[in-house]
Amino acid sequence: MTTLLSLSNELAEAVERVAGAVVTVNARPRLASTGVHWRPGIIVTADHTVRSDEDITIARADGRTVGASLAGRDPSTDLAVLRIGDTDFPTAAVGEPGSLQPGHIVLAVGHGPRVSWGVVSALGGPWHSARGGAIDQFLRPDLTLYPGFSGGPLIDAHGRVVGINTSGLLRQLELAIPASTVARVVDELVARGRVSRGFIGVGLQPVRLPEDVRRAFTAASETGLIVINVQADGPAARAGLLLGDIVVTLDGTAVDAPEVAQAVIGARPVGSTITAAISRAGAVAEVRITVGERPSRSR
Amino acid sequence: MQGGWSERAQSGIDGCLSTLTGRLREITVQVHGEPAGVGSGVLWRRDGLIVTNAHVVRGRVEVKLPGGRAVPARLLARDPEHDLAALAIDAHGLAAAEIGDSDGLRVGQLVIAVGNPLGLAGAVTAGLIHAIGPRRPAGPSLIQADLRLAPGNSGGPLADARGRVIGINAMIAGGLALAVPESLVVRFLGSLSSATATVP
Repeated sequence: MTTLLSLSNELAEAVERVAGAVVTVNARPRLASTGVHWRPGIIVTADHTVRSDEDITIARADGRTVGASLAGRDPSTDLAVLRIGDTDFPTAAVGEPGSLQPGHIVLAVGHGPRVSWGVVSALGGPWHSARGGAIDQFLRPDLTLYPGFSGGPLIDAHGRVVGINTSGLLRQLELAIPASTVARVVDELVARGRVSRGFIGVGLQPVRLPEDVRRAFTAASETGLIVINVQADGPAARAGLLLGDIVVTLDGTAVDAPEVAQAVIGARPVGSTITAAISRAGAVAEVRITVGERPSRSR
Repeated sequence: MQGGWSERAQSGIDGCLSTLTGRLREITVQVHGEPAGVGSGVLWRRDGLIVTNAHVVRGRVEVKLPGGRAVPARLLARDPEHDLAALAIDAHGLAAAEIGDSDGLRVGQLVIAVGNPLGLAGAVTAGLIHAIGPRRPAGPSLIQADLRLAPGNSGGPLADARGRVIGINAMIAGGLALAVPESLVVRFLGSLSSATATVP
C-alpha cells in the first residue's frame, strides 16, 4: 500500500506547496477566477476573466483581500497581469521548461484551494492562437477545469507551476499556457503594459491560385491572399506592396487564409524583416517588409 | 512482456489499487429500496450494521451482500438532513470497513469510491479530494472529490489511499462527487445508540 500512499501524500504536498501563491481574482460579475502570485506584487490571471479594468480585488489564500490594478493584458495569449501592494506572501515555484512529458500527472488548482487532477494529454510544439499570440508549446491536460479555475496554475506532482489554465483561448478547449510563455508575457506587460505584435498594414482576402502561378512557387497552396487594402505609409506600403498583389508565402510559409498570415506576422518582433513571395501581374516577385507595431486599439 | 505486467501489478500502484478495490468490494453492499431503486451501502460493523444514504432507503429494504446473497434489512434510523441511514441485517462472518479519520484530510490526496453506479456492481473509480467544506453557506461540511460517480454510487464508501472509509458518497454536483464525512456518520450512529426508538 505504500506506493499508493506516497503518491497520495505527494499530491497533497504539491497542492500545499503552491496553495499560498494561489489567489481569488474578483474582476468580473458573479464568478471569481483564479490568479497566481508570480513574483512579489505581480499576479497573473486569464485575460478573459478580467472584464473590468477598475475595482479589481484579489483575495489571498489566508483570506486577506487587497485592491489590485491592471498592469496590462494580452488577449492573444489570454493573459493579464495585476499589480498589488502586498509582497509578504509566497510566490509560486515555476517548473523547468522541458521537464513535462505526455502522461505526467498534473493538477489544476483553483482558488480555495480546490483541485482537479489528470495527466498531460498532449504536448506539441509552438503554435499561434487565433489572435496571433505566440505560444511556446501546445499543452493540453486531461482534467476538469471547474468554474473559476481559469487563470489558476497547472502544477506538476512536485507543486511546480508548469502553466496557467484557461478555457477561453481556443474554442472553450481546456488548455494551459506554458510557464515559459507566461514568463515572457509577464515581463513585457510589467515593463510596457502591453505585448507588441507585428503588423504590416494590409487587408488580405483568399483567392484561388491558377495552376501556372502555383507552379512558379516552391511552397504554394491552392489559395493565396490578394491585397485588397494597403494602409498609406504603413510597413507594406513602404516596402512597395501594391493593391492586387497576391501574397503566396510569408518567410516560406504558404498563407492560404488571412488568419495564417496574421499568425505569422503577429509573432514577428517589431523591426524584423519578413519576406513576402508574391505574384504580381502573373510574375513572381519578392518584397521585403520591415515589421511595424500593431497600433493599440482602445477597448 | 506479460510476465512484466503481472509482476508490476503485484507491487506498484496498480497492485495497490487492485488490492484496495478488492478490500472495499468486501465491505460494499447493494441496497435495494422500494421504490427508490438501487444504491450502495457500507458494512460498518461486523454485527451487521450498514450505513447508507437516507435517499436510498424509503420503504422496504433488501441488501445484497458482496457474495451475492440477498437478505432483508431493518431500517434503524434515517437522517434526511445529512442524508444518512442505518440498517441492520442478520448475518455472520461479514467483513467490516476500516474507518478512517475525516478530520485529517488534505486537498489533493487520493480517494477511491466503490459502488453500484447504474447497477454495475462493485465498480471502482479513483480521484482526489477537490475541496473540503460546505457547498452552500451554512450547509454541512462535505468531502468534495474530483471523481466520477453515477446514480447507484449513493451510500457507498469513499476511501483514502490506505483503504480506510472516510465518507459516504451521497451526491453529484457540477461533476464533483460529494460525500458525507465519516465524522458526521459517527455522530449519527452515536445518536442512534443513545436513542432506543427505531423507525418503523
